[in-house]
Amino acid sequence: MTDSIVLVVDDDPFIRRLIAMTLEDVSGFEVRQAGDGEEAVEAAAADPPAIVFLDIDMPRLDGIAACRQLRQAHGAAPRIVMLTASGHEQEDAALAAGADLFLTKPFSPLDLLRLVDELGAT
Amino acid sequence: MGRVSRPDETRLLKAALAESEEQALEKERQLQRYAADLRETFKQERERAQQLRQSYVATVRALANAVEARDAYTGKHAERVAAYGIAIARAGGLGLADEPETEFGFLLHDIGKVAVPDAILFKPKPLNEPERIVMEKHAEIGWEILRDIEFLGEAKLVVRHHHERWDGGGYPDGLAGEDIPLAARVFCVADTLDALTTDRPYRSAVTVARARAIIAAESGTQFDPAAVEAFALIDDDELRQIAGTELP
Repeated sequence: MTDSIVLVVDDDPFIRRLIAMTLEDVSGFEVRQAGDGEEAVEAAAADPPAIVFLDIDMPRLDGIAACRQLRQAHGAAPRIVMLTASGHEQEDAALAAGADLFLTKPFSPLDLLRLVDELGAT
Repeated sequence: MGRVSRPDETRLLKAALAESEEQALEKERQLQRYAADLRETFKQERERAQQLRQSYVATVRALANAVEARDAYTGKHAERVAAYGIAIARAGGLGLADEPETEFGFLLHDIGKVAVPDAILFKPKPLNEPERIVMEKHAEIGWEILRDIEFLGEAKLVVRHHHERWDGGGYPDGLAGEDIPLAARVFCVADTLDALTTDRPYRSAVTVARARAIIAAESGTQFDPAAVEAFALIDDDELRQIAGTELP
């Protein structure tokens, strides 16, 4: 059996790499990366992820729009964690689009690991 | 030749600069968060290691006390012997004085006595041959009891070999000289010291000076000469301090 996939979507490669490096080896997930909403939707279509970390502000297709499309394509299956800046006002829109949880930047790596642990266990 | 920027170009450059400064600041904040988590995790890890060590010590003491609780005569024998043993190891400049396993072994040395019947353990007269065989089993039994407890490490060897003799005449394995684990060699001197300087049902305590003479006389036969030498470096005051009472 192959590992479940965590898809990390952010236009900032630094954030993508940081999350990937944090989760590699310890989470039991395979980490994939995408640079914007469109790439995320394509990557998810190719290999459906178990968990998606989705930045809310991105060029081309932003996090909320991408979230909506992921829900349409994959239903309730993927757990979608919206990456937000602190004081972000679009949480209601993100919830309406189907986001499950929020992780606020700058995020704590321990919170990130615990989150994936919990999501992976359920 | 220097290029003259137009005002709107300057504004754009400034905006781009501000944007990249903001991005750099976000990365900085994110890295600080990582560093803070790392420090916190390290502190917790250190605290947990400390707690774990304390539970090891408490568990070992509880086990040692369980043995002592049966034998009213020996009182705080295990704790005294452990302290004498550590003092001897320290006086001899032996690294094992600082290893917790050493003290664990000293404290637990007689744990195998839980398997010795009262009639033998508390017999106020010398043991006959079959009784002596049962009694001597306690070293091996103690080792068996503890063998699967990983954190005890070398301590288990002290339990098994604390009745070996330097000349090879001891038990259970008849080891001689440096084949006997060092901590066990040190322990033998400490054990004999405490046995001699405390009252027993069949005889009263001897003076420290007398105990010193008896131990010195057995150097090279019962005891490792190096352990005896190290013991000789400890003065009466320190021994009294360890005993916690007036020594004879």
